Amino acid sequence: MFDVVIIGSGPAGYVAAIRAAQLGLNTACIEKSFDSEGKSQLGGTCLNVGCIPSKALLDSSHRYSDALNHFSDHGIEVSKPKLDIPKMMERKNKVVAQLTAGVGGLFKANKVTAIFGEAKVLNSNQVEVLIDNKSEIIETKNIVIASGSLPINIPVAPIDQKNIVDSTGALEFSAVPEKLGIIGAGVIGLELGSVWARLGSEVTILEAMDDFLPMADQKVSKDVLKEFNKQGLNINLGCKVTSAKVTAKNVKIGFKKKDGDEELIVDKLIVAVGRKPNTANLFDENSGLALDEKGFIPVNDYCETKVKNIWAVGDVVRGPMLAHKASEEGIMVVERIAGKHAEMHYDLVPSVIYTHPEVAWVGKNEAELSESGIEFKSGSFPFAASGRALATGESTGFVKVIADKKTDTILGVHAFGPSAADIVQQGVVAMEFGASAEDLGLTIFSHPTVSEALHEAAMAVNGNAIHIGNRKK
Amino acid sequence: MATEVKSPTFPESVADGTIANWVKKEGEKVQQDEVIAEIETDKVVLEVVAPFDGVISKIHKPAGEIVQSAELIAEFEKVSDHSADNEADQHPEPILKTEVASEPIAPEEEEKLNGPAATRLLKENNLASDDVVASGKGGRVTKADVVNHLSESSSKAPQKKEVIGIQPSQTGRDEERVPMSRLRATIAKRLLSVKQETAMLTTFNEVDMQPIKDLRAKYGKEFEEEHGVKLGFMGFFVLASVQALKKFPLVNASIDGNDIVYHGYQDVGVAVSTERGLVVPVIRDADNLTMVQVEQSILDYAGKARDGKLGINDMQGGTFTISNGGIYGNLLSTPILNAPQTAILGMHKIQDRPVALDGEVVIRPMMYLAMSYDHRLLDGKEAVSFLIAIKDQLESPERLLLNL
Repeated sequence: MFDVVIIGSGPAGYVAAIRAAQLGLNTACIEKSFDSEGKSQLGGTCLNVGCIPSKALLDSSHRYSDALNHFSDHGIEVSKPKLDIPKMMERKNKVVAQLTAGVGGLFKANKVTAIFGEAKVLNSNQVEVLIDNKSEIIETKNIVIASGSLPINIPVAPIDQKNIVDSTGALEFSAVPEKLGIIGAGVIGLELGSVWARLGSEVTILEAMDDFLPMADQKVSKDVLKEFNKQGLNINLGCKVTSAKVTAKNVKIGFKKKDGDEELIVDKLIVAVGRKPNTANLFDENSGLALDEKGFIPVNDYCETKVKNIWAVGDVVRGPMLAHKASEEGIMVVERIAGKHAEMHYDLVPSVIYTHPEVAWVGKNEAELSESGIEFKSGSFPFAASGRALATGESTGFVKVIADKKTDTILGVHAFGPSAADIVQQGVVAMEFGASAEDLGLTIFSHPTVSEALHEAAMAVNGNAIHIGNRKK
Repeated sequence: MATEVKSPTFPESVADGTIANWVKKEGEKVQQDEVIAEIETDKVVLEVVAPFDGVISKIHKPAGEIVQSAELIAEFEKVSDHSADNEADQHPEPILKTEVASEPIAPEEEEKLNGPAATRLLKENNLASDDVVASGKGGRVTKADVVNHLSESSSKAPQKKEVIGIQPSQTGRDEERVPMSRLRATIAKRLLSVKQETAMLTTFNEVDMQPIKDLRAKYGKEFEEEHGVKLGFMGFFVLASVQALKKFPLVNASIDGNDIVYHGYQDVGVAVSTERGLVVPVIRDADNLTMVQVEQSILDYAGKARDGKLGINDMQGGTFTISNGGIYGNLLSTPILNAPQTAILGMHKIQDRPVALDGEVVIRPMMYLAMSYDHRLLDGKEAVSFLIAIKDQLESPERLLLNL
């Protein structure tokens, strides 16, 4: 009998499995996906068709766009760079293969039993696994569901993975589409749009909502929208797609705008309208588990389901669908199973969009604080005033620090610009320790780094920024 | 040597409970009063705490098992790295121990843990980490903690007036201003904080004192001759309270942060009035005492209080308090809790009153009982049942003999 059986080997599942084994629990991790060659595939969405391959392509495309557009700024003349898409894809696949193999290696090193098959929870102590069409019952003391999420399909644009693709298909184009349509201006749409726009596609993004990046700070959203339109992402807000017809040559998209119906013809269409929990056929109806109306598994702050000894973590439960949130939940759960004290600080989960420049934030934004009646003060610092950013030639964007008006405790850090994710991460560490803006101001930052913008923004909160004029109080 | 860890005594209305969770594992080191297990009943989740510093040597009831009230669930063992510690533990010196435990860590070492802004603000205001309630990770003081501390003390500051003595007031008539005694100031602070920090309310009942009066009339003289102490009323109230506290362990518990601490003993404080103010010496382990011993310790404390010889140690702790306002003729009152206790019983004047008994109006020596309690911990039903349990025992004192 296992101490813990984990369903899913994505960033929630595999991390939980390794931690559980470290804690001395007899652990199994069940994975059902196979790659195109029929080999079992650990790592989940993140490693196989999400975070990692998209970052591989984002980086490759960024280098190409740099060589094409910006080398000459630095006085480097190269003949027009040539794209080799199959080679770019091969490199991406190699990265993925290396990392997924790494997960297998870590399982072996930590003595996690990997089981390849489709899992179904029967009750709090039994999981049925379908391996090569043969059913096997696995006995366990605890079950952790970490089955992840899938792209949402919309009936008006059915995925064929050839002309109309989801995020997975958009990582597999064998040639650069001349015209590329994207439904959804969220994180996935923006990242994939960036990849193909840099490689030469004429990109059009159609977003149904009137607001752009409503979860980000308003000033950030405004600047990001301006910059991305400049980069050729053509973000159209308030556009509801009503039809998508695949013809012999292209895809004809019909959409509704405030001022009437319009049509767009593209070579490929990416549907990136969000993701849904992957919970179909996951448990027996007698298991006591149930889904909420959106298909999530209801859990409390400790990721406990209503059935004792069954837990659920990552994209199948409430909260942002982020790998780092999923991993932390996985660790929390197995530590609690092992009798340790562990908890999540959900208000300190950072968000990142890996465009160029990056967009990142943690904590509250100004609108949220105003809405909840919390008095705050904020300080911003533009990268245009950062020595290092100017030297690098990447001076778009700014860092903003928001703090409690009375106590000076940092409530939010928002950044748009070079290494925004890493800058915000420093804010996460500070906030985890209850730091005030003054604490960051009193901390030494290396010069010259782009992180200095965080230092200056924190000092600007109290009107003490050095390298920019301070707002009169 | 292993000590038995038992499930708490469940309230009457709770048949059994389920071990929800072993917070600590077999062999894990735990500190006294740390929660080691959680027991779920149909009403509440009860916590089982470590009786002293040690390890759980054996778990008898794993998570998920059903347990009865006060059933053996685990064995607990003392551990000690040094034999000297071991010896000290076996002969506990409570005063010495608390002093050692509360000795602050060298301030220099502690301040290093705080962030730079907090450190600066502490120094600028001549404060030590200890002066401020720390909310940060690992006990660190954050800037917010210091800012809040400063704004709290500044809002209190204007109330401080240094002028002492007889002064003509603004209206031209004399007023005398004298500093509060330390005891008075402490009483004032504590009473106010209890009012502000608990959800206090009072439940009332009345008790027919005739049976106890009869008992005293019949045996009072013999009791005094045999034991050398008077058979008073207080002994009955203390013992009746102890019986009721055992039946309702939540009344005997206290809140500590987000935890409920169940005390495995009944230390009953008895409010005594002295010249300088009200003090509450504590009768320790009252559940192990006989009527004679209870009366004797009350007598001892009264003497010590009169001579001003009550020590801090005599008054510390206590899991429940009895206040007797009856000696001043008080007919009905709402006593204030003795924090962090959860309940206080108020006794009052015994007064002959006409009451209906078996359909007839008779004159009986009646006493009103009042119990103030912290509604955060106790529900009305429990509080009322607890008070009725006391009433029942006082009206039929033979119940005390039979532990009913």
